[in-house]
Amino acid sequence: MIAPACQSPLEWMTLLGYWLGELDPETERGVEEHYLACDHCSDRLSQLSTLAKQVGAVARGSGVNMVINDALARRLSDDGFRVREYSVPVNGSVNCSVAPEDDFVMARLQATLAGLKRIDLIFADARGTFQTRLTDIPFIPDSDGVVFAASIETVRALPESTIQMRLLAVGKDGERTIGEYTLNHTPYAARTDD
Amino acid sequence: MSVPEIQTPADDASLAIRVGRAAPGTDREAEAELCRRLGPRVRLYGLRHLRDEAAAADLMQQVLLIMIERLRAGALRTPERLASFVFGICRMAVLDLKRGHARRDRLLETYGDALLPPEAAHPDPEDRERLVRCLERLPERERTVLLLTFYDDMPAEVLARELSLTPANIRVIRHRGLKRLRGCVNGEPK
Repeated sequence: MIAPACQSPLEWMTLLGYWLGELDPETERGVEEHYLACDHCSDRLSQLSTLAKQVGAVARGSGVNMVINDALARRLSDDGFRVREYSVPVNGSVNCSVAPEDDFVMARLQATLAGLKRIDLIFADARGTFQTRLTDIPFIPDSDGVVFAASIETVRALPESTIQMRLLAVGKDGERTIGEYTLNHTPYAARTDD
Repeated sequence: MSVPEIQTPADDASLAIRVGRAAPGTDREAEAELCRRLGPRVRLYGLRHLRDEAAAADLMQQVLLIMIERLRAGALRTPERLASFVFGICRMAVLDLKRGHARRDRLLETYGDALLPPEAAHPDPEDRERLVRCLERLPERERTVLLLTFYDDMPAEVLARELSLTPANIRVIRHRGLKRLRGCVNGEPK
């Protein structure tokens, strides 16, 4: 059933602010009285709450590649998830894998980021052939690098392989390499070092 | 921020009038229709304040029962104010349930949660795949902000501190990302 249109619908930004508890009490009350009387806006709020829940489930299930921050990495461990983290020095490499019981696998790419405005992250295969580029990734200038959490399903499906990652500082004058990082992945079952 | 005011729609108000005018419990059709219309909205209120599907379902049931009882007793003087009337019941019911939850949490601490059924069903796998594809298409900043936001429904002020951005900046990125994501999930053209 399609809800009848509202003459003065609540904006998505307001609905999202409401859902996240960001509104002042008076505005929050106004929003609640509005959607309690309005099929159209309660339908939209319902869509929003469903999407929020599903996106949260993808985040908690490591269902997608994501650049995250230290705070979330800590929260994941605090929330009881098993997190496997590899710290990769600038121009360094690590041997890596993912165990059946792991919930998240992440690479901490060490780098000095102070003063940078934009960073891109490039992925290449073992021969250095370009695969993909993540542009303008979020980062914290005074942190010690970038934390990349890979989709756990994607990593589990990987054969023995080498993945090269490169952080680029992008500015008005062009771009320069901050660091290169090599991850030598071995499927868990094929590991011989455990 | 101003919120557009809205009067209770005529259909809702007229149903409330019917329930109030009939002898208690005799206009079951109007009562059921009113509950059918308001139930999902009350459930959303419950989800927002209790963050729990089962608790929101409890709240919905409690609010609708109280509402019908009060309507039968003629407690709603101005039918156009039905939304405010329901809002008041919702607020009190949430307080009641939170007190109940505090009690439940104490019991859980004592006995553990092994006896509770698992929460909420997972979404359809096809829906999840589409959502993942849509998330992967988002610009990196938008994807990160949405994932960090909805990991545990984090307000912009908190996330801004964690990402060294301003709350206004987070809101803009979040709004753009959500718009793009909704469009993609719903199959809207770019």
